[in-house]
Amino acid sequence: MNELLIEFLSGFTATNEWAAILPEILLGVLALGLLGAEMALPRSQQTRWIPRLAVWGQVIVLVLAFTCAGCCSFDQREYFSGLIAQNDVTQLMRGFFLLSSLAVCYLGKVYFVRQSALPKTEFYALVLIISAAMMLLVQSAHFVMLFVALETVTVAFYVLVAYNRRSQFSLEAGLKYLILGALSSGILLFGIVLLYGIAGSPELVASSHDSLNYTQLMHFVIPNMDNLIVKIGALLVIAGVCFKIGAVPFQIWVPDVYQGAPTPVTAYLAVASKAAGFIVLIQLVSGPFFGLQDFLVPVLSVIAAATILFGNIAAVTQRNVKRLMGLSGIAHAGYLLLGVVALMRGVDWAVYAVIFYLFTYLLASFAVFGVMSLSAAADDAIQELDHYQNFARKHPFLGGVLACGLGSLAGIPPLGGFIGKLFLFVAAFQASLYGLLIIAVIGVVISIYYYFGWIRESYFSAPSTEVVNEAACPSTAGDRFLLGAFTVASVVVGLLPAALPIIR
Amino acid sequence: MIDILFYVFAAITLTSALLMVVSPNAVNSAMCMIVSFVGTAGMFVLLEAYFLAVLQILVYAGAVMVLFLFIIMLLDVDKETNQILKDKLTLAASIAGFALLVVMICSAFAGGQHLPETSLLPVLENPTGAGIGIPFTTSAKSFGYSLFTKYMLPFQVTGFLLLSAMIGVIVVSKKHS
Repeated sequence: MNELLIEFLSGFTATNEWAAILPEILLGVLALGLLGAEMALPRSQQTRWIPRLAVWGQVIVLVLAFTCAGCCSFDQREYFSGLIAQNDVTQLMRGFFLLSSLAVCYLGKVYFVRQSALPKTEFYALVLIISAAMMLLVQSAHFVMLFVALETVTVAFYVLVAYNRRSQFSLEAGLKYLILGALSSGILLFGIVLLYGIAGSPELVASSHDSLNYTQLMHFVIPNMDNLIVKIGALLVIAGVCFKIGAVPFQIWVPDVYQGAPTPVTAYLAVASKAAGFIVLIQLVSGPFFGLQDFLVPVLSVIAAATILFGNIAAVTQRNVKRLMGLSGIAHAGYLLLGVVALMRGVDWAVYAVIFYLFTYLLASFAVFGVMSLSAAADDAIQELDHYQNFARKHPFLGGVLACGLGSLAGIPPLGGFIGKLFLFVAAFQASLYGLLIIAVIGVVISIYYYFGWIRESYFSAPSTEVVNEAACPSTAGDRFLLGAFTVASVVVGLLPAALPIIR
Repeated sequence: MIDILFYVFAAITLTSALLMVVSPNAVNSAMCMIVSFVGTAGMFVLLEAYFLAVLQILVYAGAVMVLFLFIIMLLDVDKETNQILKDKLTLAASIAGFALLVVMICSAFAGGQHLPETSLLPVLENPTGAGIGIPFTTSAKSFGYSLFTKYMLPFQVTGFLLLSAMIGVIVVSKKHS
């Protein structure tokens, strides 16, 4: 009995290759190390060393992840008895999440200069844990792994959103995100449970022993695509994911949470959380829900159209820049959904178009959020467009970075955002989604209006108006280097799309 | 026998759930919720999911509800003075909910359509395909085996989930110097 048992259990553990998730483990250890360092270091040294430890530790992990990615193959491989699957997309997204958490740590350092009373170490630790959990999230090939990783990300985000507990906005945002996030997790879990139950039922054809595994579920769904419970389960899972990316029927939380959260956290939510949601969505529609295309394509098309229109139209009247970034982020989610729908219609390279767009979105967003962090006043939640009057004249460098970032978000030709949108639209064209394309182009035209309204405010507003925002702090050489790097990268990607090794 | 027990536990669960919703006193509500949880645990026992039943009692009826009661008593929640249907929205929501219930019951039992009655299959010897070495049981032991072999990675990630929740509680609730 005992030998049999050991043999059986070792069959399960044979594929537990911990080395395959070394970057995630290192990030987790780094997060724990930061908490330990806070206890070990004297109080006077903490503010100096802990941000450095966080940033340089991540740089080391990033270098390591790239060297690992260079030598190992990009083919689909499964680990941990099918819980995790790695391929070229997950390797790229590792780099994406590391870059964004690196930038968020840096923005956090800028943020804490002004909010010096807040605890600092925990912020970096949580950012690192989120980054590691997102990497696992995009690698998961099993609903158990998906849910655990997703909850880790979400719970840590609840904390980060409510991080500035002395600000009413932050607490309100934290509460809203907690309640709506818990609701969406519940919806997602209900969908998963329905699928688990129906796919495990031995009465149906192709029922499976391990019915939460993506591959097994895909083999189950294809012959059972007309089953009502399969459809409801898939719809609930998609709804749960749409909550995380802020697509339209589930977008209510976005403006308030984006406004109340500390600016670095807003950036993290806007870029990394959305990216993780989209990669999960792509994996779901091309994996377990592959057989449900006839049912899901109309649903997601309607969501995409509504998302593009709602995000852009709601952003036009917005005066608070954080809310504006949130609402325009909804619109960007709509464009990305275009790529997902194109993928479901059989355009395989749409995956890479989505990832390319996410990278250009990362570069442009962090440039804009960097400027916002630097120029924010003491109250982080109240950043109005009026505060940016004459901004570019006082801070020519920051003004230039802002203009480039916003231009890229709007999709102006020499910048990266244009190429990203172009790839997505070409993918949609190949999938003959003409109606959606027209809506997307209308959306882009509207978005140019409000993005350029912001640029106009910073460059061409009347010089006599009183200046509300005196707190804009002088940027250090490091800030200039980082923001400059993001801007240059945006331009380079725009001029030379092959600089990103995504679309070949 | 099991049929009778099922109806007994179902009645306990539903009655106490109803009492929990309509009770004006928060402490009484919490007590009714405990009874409702115990009723659900009884259902699990009937399904021979003993481990789940014990967890239901320990975690929900025990730990979670103690927490609830602590908070209710610490905050000293006043007795809700208003009537249950205090505003139009609540009234509308209740009516809609009951209408839905009526529709579902009617469509389930009346008019030729009734609930699909699938014949119960004989109990599978090995429903998860995992019984090469271990017989399939619902005991805590078999949960432990798969938790520490197949589901090792999610188990570890859960540790980080709890850690970040703990950090969060400290960060958000601590008074800053």
